[in-house]
Amino acid sequence: MHLARAEIVSNVWKIEAREGDQVGPGDVLAVLESMKMEIPLVATVNGHVSRILVELGQIVQEGDPIVEIDETAGA
Amino acid sequence: MPKLDRPVAAPPAEPQALPDQRSVLADRRASRFARVEPKGKRVFTARERAEMLVDPGSFVEMTPMRSASPGAGSGVVSGWGTTDGHSVVVVSHDAAVASGAIGAVMAEAIQKAQRFAIDKGYPIVYINDSGGARIHDGIFALHGCGGIFALNIEAQSRIPQISLILGPCAGAAAYSPALTDWTIMVKEQGQMFLTGPDIVKAATGEDASAEDIGGSALHTKVSGVAHLEVDSEEDAFDATRLLLSFLPTHKGGAQKRHDPVPANPHSVAALPTLVPEKSSIVFDMNKLLDGVLDNGARLELMPEHAPSILTLFARIDGHAVGVLANQPNARGGILDSKASVKAARFVEFCGRFDLPVLTFVDVPGFLPGTVEEGRGVITHGAKLLKAYVDTKSPKLTVVVRKSYGGAYIAMGSASLGAHANWAWANSEIAVMGPGGAVALLHRRALKEAEEPTVLRDELAAVYREEVARPYLAAEAGIVDDVILPEETRDRMVAALRMLTHGSEA
Repeated sequence: MHLARAEIVSNVWKIEAREGDQVGPGDVLAVLESMKMEIPLVATVNGHVSRILVELGQIVQEGDPIVEIDETAGA
Repeated sequence: MPKLDRPVAAPPAEPQALPDQRSVLADRRASRFARVEPKGKRVFTARERAEMLVDPGSFVEMTPMRSASPGAGSGVVSGWGTTDGHSVVVVSHDAAVASGAIGAVMAEAIQKAQRFAIDKGYPIVYINDSGGARIHDGIFALHGCGGIFALNIEAQSRIPQISLILGPCAGAAAYSPALTDWTIMVKEQGQMFLTGPDIVKAATGEDASAEDIGGSALHTKVSGVAHLEVDSEEDAFDATRLLLSFLPTHKGGAQKRHDPVPANPHSVAALPTLVPEKSSIVFDMNKLLDGVLDNGARLELMPEHAPSILTLFARIDGHAVGVLANQPNARGGILDSKASVKAARFVEFCGRFDLPVLTFVDVPGFLPGTVEEGRGVITHGAKLLKAYVDTKSPKLTVVVRKSYGGAYIAMGSASLGAHANWAWANSEIAVMGPGGAVALLHRRALKEAEEPTVLRDELAAVYREEVARPYLAAEAGIVDDVILPEETRDRMVAALRMLTHGSEA
């Protein structure tokens, strides 16, 4: 399992990924808002989205897991 | 045959009894230069590494016969050679002698090379592969290591120092690099730590591998102790030569000039529309730099540590320059504790060796909050301000989109002594972003409004045009001029020619 983590303290502004989605490196999983910047959280691995770990508007700290990706089920 | 009535003289001594100095020297050299097979993952000997670093055939060893014990060598190969024709001093630990441990004699040999480099004004490259102080030598080893450190520090104000980490480097072999300017580590081969896994386990009980405690991944991504991770020793030597190509040989020495190369034409064409109008949308600052700088060799340092700021050596109009730029693509381009330390260290280095500093600004601010305050962001941010003020080499700054608050000041502003500074026509410069500003300025009106978000956006738009646009700064003379993206290169080139007195190549 791979965890895509927040790179900065922020609030979850958009969740682009849905559970079950196939994703690959560069795909935008969520958009985090911090310092008035829209900071995309992009996948770095191939796999399918197994869990969304946050809700819209939730405050997350640097390093918090946002999306879980199951690499074994990758394309 | 008559018998001689006197004793017959003893036959003359065999020729080999008289030492033939040529063959003695040949034997000495053969034993001293014998190839000792490297251990572990190493492929090359200390001397081969020194020879590979410099121009072919240029390496000359200092005191090659110096020995700590008969036949053993001093534990280090030191000497000089050239890179791209410029002299450089090299110190290469010999891991084949007591794992490169630094004893009294080895320390003296290193200090001799350091003293030579400092006095004559040549950069010095330390090829580190040493377990640290030699335990047998006791206080003599410690005193020798301390002497190396003291010369590392003396050298800081005189010559560039580069450290390569090509093996497990503990203690003194890790501390000396920390006192030098740039440290390059070979992946999965070089490590730096206070002490290795065994001593860590004995001291604290922690069970960790050499890579965990001091691998290149830790030091180039997390700790910032090292500044570049490369795949092989050859890559480390190439990176060192590239780094040296941007640097003067010593403080006050000639700045390196190459023939000017135009910026990449595709990047130039893309420049006017590269930066998203909406200040919250991220983009890749590297593409902006491509449209301004010479389309030639660059070297980014610390690419994976605090990536919200870019620090790189490059050229513009053939001048070697240091470039500092916010990177919106990483963490929104914010300044935080680590980014401040990284940036301050880079600017300070450029100032120390008179390299011009080009600053490209698109910064949402210093990252506030409990985590960053706990890391000392105020103290670390202050280092960046000090580095800019202390730097007397040409400082050119351009705001390409937004520059708010303390981060505006910290990013090479006019207040900190920028010699020339510009703002792109679409940019915003203010104490804080429009959204935050109107929330404070119009708190009561927003509280009473029926549709506060609509009112806030209207007020923010007014604030953006009336307060944050760069024309106010230009009218006040705080920004020299408002320019278009495609004018940036010519402005910088002209300013640099003026500030370097049009110095010849």
